Amino acid sequence: MITLLEAALLGFVLVSAIATIILRDVLAAIVAFGAYSLGLAMLWLTLQAPDVALTEAAIGAGVTTILFILTLTKTVRPTDDSVFTPINWPAAGVAVLFAGALLWTVPAIPAIGDPSAPAWSDPEVTQFYLESAYEQTGVENVVTAVLAAYRGFDTFGEAVVVFAAGVAVLVVIREERFT
Amino acid sequence: MSEQNIQQERAERPYTESSVIMTTVRIVAPFVFTYGLFVMFHGASSSGGGFQGGAIVAAMVLMLAFAFGIEPTQRWFKNTAIVLLATGGVLAFLFIGIGPLLLDGTFLEYSAYGFKKAPKYGIEGVELGIGAIVASVISGLFFAIARGFEYTEGQQ
Repeated sequence: MITLLEAALLGFVLVSAIATIILRDVLAAIVAFGAYSLGLAMLWLTLQAPDVALTEAAIGAGVTTILFILTLTKTVRPTDDSVFTPINWPAAGVAVLFAGALLWTVPAIPAIGDPSAPAWSDPEVTQFYLESAYEQTGVENVVTAVLAAYRGFDTFGEAVVVFAAGVAVLVVIREERFT
Repeated sequence: MSEQNIQQERAERPYTESSVIMTTVRIVAPFVFTYGLFVMFHGASSSGGGFQGGAIVAAMVLMLAFAFGIEPTQRWFKNTAIVLLATGGVLAFLFIGIGPLLLDGTFLEYSAYGFKKAPKYGIEGVELGIGAIVASVISGLFFAIARGFEYTEGQQ
């Protein structure tokens, strides 16, 4: 069962997500979106995923918010006084259908700590990482050991993807002479 | 309200430096930078790593730009430095990986380096490279978007 803290965080995330959708002022929507990311980061912490929580807080709540605000300064703000934006019902219908399709798959997710979860389908591999990570790599964080040592080749690809994404954006916005 | 009026109203509300934001950022920024480096280096022993630490360092650059203006920040953190950091990060990761191949190991087999705790130092080096890539790409995108871009038909 979920604890009171998790329920409160879930409620906070839900409310800030809805606020992001319906607020008329884009700046207010961006602030609500930042709050949503921060709530999600805290939720990751309660689910014992501090690495994901750190990324969510830095990228979701921090960097994305600033990039959105920066983009906003290049647009104009609505001038009327209404607080909420009118809802586009066909679009809302599509969104509800999509969310429903996603929610439909939720029961298939194994419970937290379920021994029959796919992560444990090959217990020997998992046990091997847990038992020999410190001995073989000398690092205490098994996540880092898997990321940078056992699956280091994948991580190299990931780092190059980040680099390539930066280059691609510069090409798209015609800033090839970046230096 | 017409387009012209909106434009006019925007021009009447210029971006002003806020002493609250400037003072806060002045105090907080060194701690954020140190924390970013800590997350990068200490990823081996606690949560975190290059991706997270790099994002935090980039957040500090964005924070400085937010408080003191984008151009002064850009004068301090030039595009040349951004490109050097990003390519340097990729090359550092690559060379740390290739090194063991020259020493009869396989790609990224840190223990082939032979010295004590080689895997640990290898992982730290790789994390630092990732941090450099992430921090510089995020700051670079920020500066590129801030500079703005115009697209005209037939532009070379």
